Amino acid sequence: MRIKTLLVFTPILLVGLLVQAYFWVPTYEDQIAGDAQRLRKFVEASIGDAKLLNPALHADSASGKIVDKVFDTLLDLDENLQLRGRLATHWQLTETAYLQILPGASLARGVLSDAPTLVAALRGAMDDGTIDVPPDLLTDIQILPARTLNLVVSDAADSEVQEQLLVNAPPRLQFTLRRVDQTFFSRLRPVLGDNYQQQADSSDWHRPVPDAFLQSLRAQLPVFEHNPEIEFELRRGVRFHDGHLFDAGDVKFTYEAIMNPRNLSPRTSDFEPIKSITTLGSHKLRVVYKRLFSPAVMAWAAMGILPEHLLNDAALVQEMDARDLAETARAAFGLRDSQFNRKPVGTGPFRFAAWQSDEMVHLRRFDDYWDGPPIYHEYFFRIIPDTLTREVEFRTGAADSYNPEPYQVARYRDDDRYRVYSSPSSGYTYIGYNNRRPLFSNPRVRRALGMALNIDEIIKYVLYGEGERTTGPYPKTSNFYATQTAAVPYDPEGALRLLRELGWVRNADGWLEKDGQIFEFNLITNNGNQKRRNILSIAQDAWKRIGVKCNTQVFEWAVFLQDFVNPGDFDAVVLGWQLGIDADLFQLWHSSQTGANQLNFVGYVNPRADRLMEDIRREYDPQRQTALAQQLHQLVAEDQPYTFLYAPRKNEVLDPKIVMVADDGRLEPLRADRRGELYYFFSRWRKLAHTPQF
Amino acid sequence: MGAYLLRNLCQRLVLLIIVSFLVHALVHLAPGEPAEVDPNNPRFKPEDVAKIRAAFHLDEPLHVQYALWIRDLLNGELKSFKDGQPVLPKIWERFLNSLPLFVCATLIVWTLSFPTGIHAAVRRGSNYDRTTTFIAYALISVPGFFLSYLVILWVVNTFGVPVIGMRTFGAENASLWFRSMDSLWHLVVPSLMLAVAGVAILSRYVRSQMLEVIGQDYVRTARAKGLDSDAVIYSHALRNALLPFVTMFGLMLPELISGAVIIEQIFAWPGIGRLSFDAILARDYPVVLTVTLIAAVITLAGTFLSDILYAVVDPRIRLS
Amino acid sequence: MVADGSRKTRLTAHAESPWRLFWQLLRRDRLAMTGLVVLLALAFIAVAGKATTEWWVVFDPTTVRLVDKFRAPLSEASALLPKSDRPLSGVYLLGTDELGRDVFARMLQGAFVSMSIGFVAVGIAIAVGIVLGGIAGYYGEVRFGPLTVDTLIMRFTDAMLCIPIFFLILVVVALLPASIYNIMIVIGLTRWMGITRFVRAEFLSLREQDFVVAARALGLPARRIIFWHMMPNAMAPVLVTATIGVATAILTESALSFLGFGVQPPFATWGNILADGKNFIFDAPWLFFIPGLAIFIIVLAFNLLGEGMREALNPKLQRR
Repeated sequence: MRIKTLLVFTPILLVGLLVQAYFWVPTYEDQIAGDAQRLRKFVEASIGDAKLLNPALHADSASGKIVDKVFDTLLDLDENLQLRGRLATHWQLTETAYLQILPGASLARGVLSDAPTLVAALRGAMDDGTIDVPPDLLTDIQILPARTLNLVVSDAADSEVQEQLLVNAPPRLQFTLRRVDQTFFSRLRPVLGDNYQQQADSSDWHRPVPDAFLQSLRAQLPVFEHNPEIEFELRRGVRFHDGHLFDAGDVKFTYEAIMNPRNLSPRTSDFEPIKSITTLGSHKLRVVYKRLFSPAVMAWAAMGILPEHLLNDAALVQEMDARDLAETARAAFGLRDSQFNRKPVGTGPFRFAAWQSDEMVHLRRFDDYWDGPPIYHEYFFRIIPDTLTREVEFRTGAADSYNPEPYQVARYRDDDRYRVYSSPSSGYTYIGYNNRRPLFSNPRVRRALGMALNIDEIIKYVLYGEGERTTGPYPKTSNFYATQTAAVPYDPEGALRLLRELGWVRNADGWLEKDGQIFEFNLITNNGNQKRRNILSIAQDAWKRIGVKCNTQVFEWAVFLQDFVNPGDFDAVVLGWQLGIDADLFQLWHSSQTGANQLNFVGYVNPRADRLMEDIRREYDPQRQTALAQQLHQLVAEDQPYTFLYAPRKNEVLDPKIVMVADDGRLEPLRADRRGELYYFFSRWRKLAHTPQF
Repeated sequence: MGAYLLRNLCQRLVLLIIVSFLVHALVHLAPGEPAEVDPNNPRFKPEDVAKIRAAFHLDEPLHVQYALWIRDLLNGELKSFKDGQPVLPKIWERFLNSLPLFVCATLIVWTLSFPTGIHAAVRRGSNYDRTTTFIAYALISVPGFFLSYLVILWVVNTFGVPVIGMRTFGAENASLWFRSMDSLWHLVVPSLMLAVAGVAILSRYVRSQMLEVIGQDYVRTARAKGLDSDAVIYSHALRNALLPFVTMFGLMLPELISGAVIIEQIFAWPGIGRLSFDAILARDYPVVLTVTLIAAVITLAGTFLSDILYAVVDPRIRLS
Repeated sequence: MVADGSRKTRLTAHAESPWRLFWQLLRRDRLAMTGLVVLLALAFIAVAGKATTEWWVVFDPTTVRLVDKFRAPLSEASALLPKSDRPLSGVYLLGTDELGRDVFARMLQGAFVSMSIGFVAVGIAIAVGIVLGGIAGYYGEVRFGPLTVDTLIMRFTDAMLCIPIFFLILVVVALLPASIYNIMIVIGLTRWMGITRFVRAEFLSLREQDFVVAARALGLPARRIIFWHMMPNAMAPVLVTATIGVATAILTESALSFLGFGVQPPFATWGNILADGKNFIFDAPWLFFIPGLAIFIIVLAFNLLGEGMREALNPKLQRR
């Protein structure tokens, strides 16, 4: 009898215990209404966890969101996309240019004898106007004597093969310029002549080496060398979250951390062109670049500054000692292994409080922030991987923001309890054709395929209108987008005509056929993205109607990259790019970037486009750069290496009680900056107890 | 008995080694690269990709990678590919998060199954038996995530309380009592979902075992002798029916870990199921291999324990 | 038995064959019979579904009708559609999904795929299980060096059992290209362990029985003994496991679809229709409930049938 009682009562007791806990838990209404503290917290829900809270190392968007709040950059773009100083108060772009003296070279008139003569000739030409060098451009010309250098040259075919070379480099002229001028050396043509550069023959300066090394040698000893320089003046009185003062050493350390090969930073390509960084005092910094590199300033706008005192070698040794690591581990220890990545310290508006893996990241506001503390006291980054429960949490007030799917936007717009904020995004979705495959090598074929798709209908029905047609490689939010480019029209008949001209005729089964082969290919994308899967079905259906057989398949992301995208082994893919406002598209479209694991994985090759991209990288004048970029946009649009589909709109649903506090203290509704970034003004957000009327 | 146990232990160690080989070989023959080298991120260049490959020994021959893995694991220095943090502390932290879930689910399963199963066996053919039978089958047949969503939506719409996650947010300032009750409540729905299939299956098994025992001669004899029916069932029959459950106990843990993958995903519970799932997606080799190995270790330990208990309880084993 | 003329006891001319006995017992179990009827109906629907969606296209599951997205069940098709896209009799029986595809047609197509996944997976598991179990049971003492065949096979089986099953499936499916065949094979290759143990246990006991000893004495080839004489007697528990195994396979496939690893488009299974439908609970609830209920019904039917078979096959559970 006793056992029976025990058996019956134990579960009743257990269930009773569990269920009674319900009575102690605050309902959603209680949470919001009764708790004033709740208004000071902002809870964001995310699909994935952050990985590394280190601006030099992170590569995912979740880490990026946290890093942007904890760290400051030297500068950034303000709401009108103008450069604005953050940790840097002033910055000055100048240049030092170098000209190699090639004794015996023929000039425009006569032959070059020695450096002083050339200087005199140049000065003379400037005075009498033969050379157009405005007086505000050139401040000084110096003669640098000949020097002996030890260079490491590598084989042009195989960069692993290297040799040490002792070189007696000739003297050089050093020109100090007040601004960066990529045309400087062409200005000197009236004196130097048109083929000064081509006369460089290094064979006198070193022992004989095989031709294969000459390319590397010439790259390291150019005749014309541009060294742009940026001089930063840094803000005084800025403190890190632990109280330590910020200074120029931190910036230099950040650069060194990024370039250190052991740290495996994904940012090295943005900082590789830097030749040297010198600190001139505690709040001044000079950065010298090896060559013309117009993305230089923007690179600093994207890089949070690390605290040197917590991550330099001494600090790392302290950490290794504290963690009591073994010898082998110590040898391999680097920035990536430091606990700093889980407990970051920066100068930003929010300071790190806690990180429970896969559950949440908690930030508190930094009261001593140099730009004034943000209004929200606390920020929670909750990780809720499931879409449905994320929505449930938002609708019940446990999360403050939600990114609705396109088909949900209308429902939220109609609901007075929520407010939808819509802004353009700087990215686009596309169908990429493997340009290397014979089927897709002709731009007209690609164009025809694009004409068979009713993209406006896709935007209307898949995106529910939350998107815009895009025509080319630049984001619509930037000035580089050539608005005059015509979109590919929806014209299935026209597509059939184009294909017929190229020899594709419908066969008995209804498929297009040429030379005994039907027009058939595989269209693939990654799983986890419902919109892309929908595009697969829609494209398959649309192409079926004009007789093109398209087989679709979805792959898991890592497999998709490894087996298809990276080796360039695919027919067509549906993918998207998320871009910054940057004129430099070299990595995406240049013909040198078509190798395995590179970003021009469709294999687009166009020499005209190549030249445009190279020029853009060297162009410092913003207007000229914009013009070049627009030309590139038109060119790529004509070639249609992708079918450019749409640029989706970003939608964010928030509680209407969240408003923005203007400088004068007035309350205004939330808005995005010109890039469409709603969270740009996050530091000024505030949640009220009642919905305001505007 | 000592010899039996020793032999048993040795066999289990051999099994463990076989499992580690199997799992290691399996993961490495798969396609896909660790997620760090994501070239869709325009910041990565092929040189970066190559550097990461070298740093993680991905170019060594297979047996060298295996040896390196075991060495790093035993040194406690095996590092995750995702963020370079050591693997074992990470798994341990997550395992502690999942532990309340497993414990609660196991408690629910075992305390609910026995009374219902026994009662159904005793009252065989009655309405109670038929109803519980049907409910049990229904619970086994429902897809786990389907039921979970329905329950979440029902609780949220009817009661207005949060069910997602380990705790309610914004309640950090509340007293210890409230926070404990809050954590307990958040434990209820996920562990219930985890326990559903287990309760159904186990109660059916209890019922069939009891039926088998009740049908035996000695029970009939006891009844004929006039012993109180309840005493017969609960003291004599139950004790003999319990034997197989001892072995089952050890085998239930792998099921819990498997089930946790989906439940933790839905309820945003930062446990070991989610850790393994994310690691699989990201090809985070160290984490995946270690979790599988740990699951195998625990299963082997559990079954070993069961064998010991079995030997203690059943004299026939001891004497063989 | 003595013939005494009374009607109560009768001398039967021949013993009931075990199969007829089994069928009579099964027939009396109403739940199992319901399950059987439902399954036969679903099998018919599955075949009819495949026929009408692929061979003679009456219901087209792939046509995209962007104009008619998210239409509720029993709603009329839009007048804007071209004739070729209109559904049969202009009405969407079960509504449309987010691309305007006819849910009824997709469910029809999915029926066949879901059932075939279940059957093929279980078929593979049975094949492997019978082979391994049979070899272990019959040839168990054959030695290779220090180990016997029995030890080898059973240790391998035990090693596989240590790894959490669903976790193992997930690891393999995540790492292989997503195709329907891979999923079938993987689910099958992770389910054979229980069958192996059953078959081995049965063979071990059967081996000592008179008819087998006699057959060996007569010099019959081993193959004939195993497949012709022993196997049919060992099949009973295998059949039960198989029936329930199909149910489990269908549930596993839906769980894999939920996690994103299920069968890929263009194949529709009930599992991936349900997984896709979960996002639309608020906007188009029929996309979630219809496949969920369908899976529930088919899995329940298999479970009821399987349990009924188990009860019918187990004489110890019969009333005396």
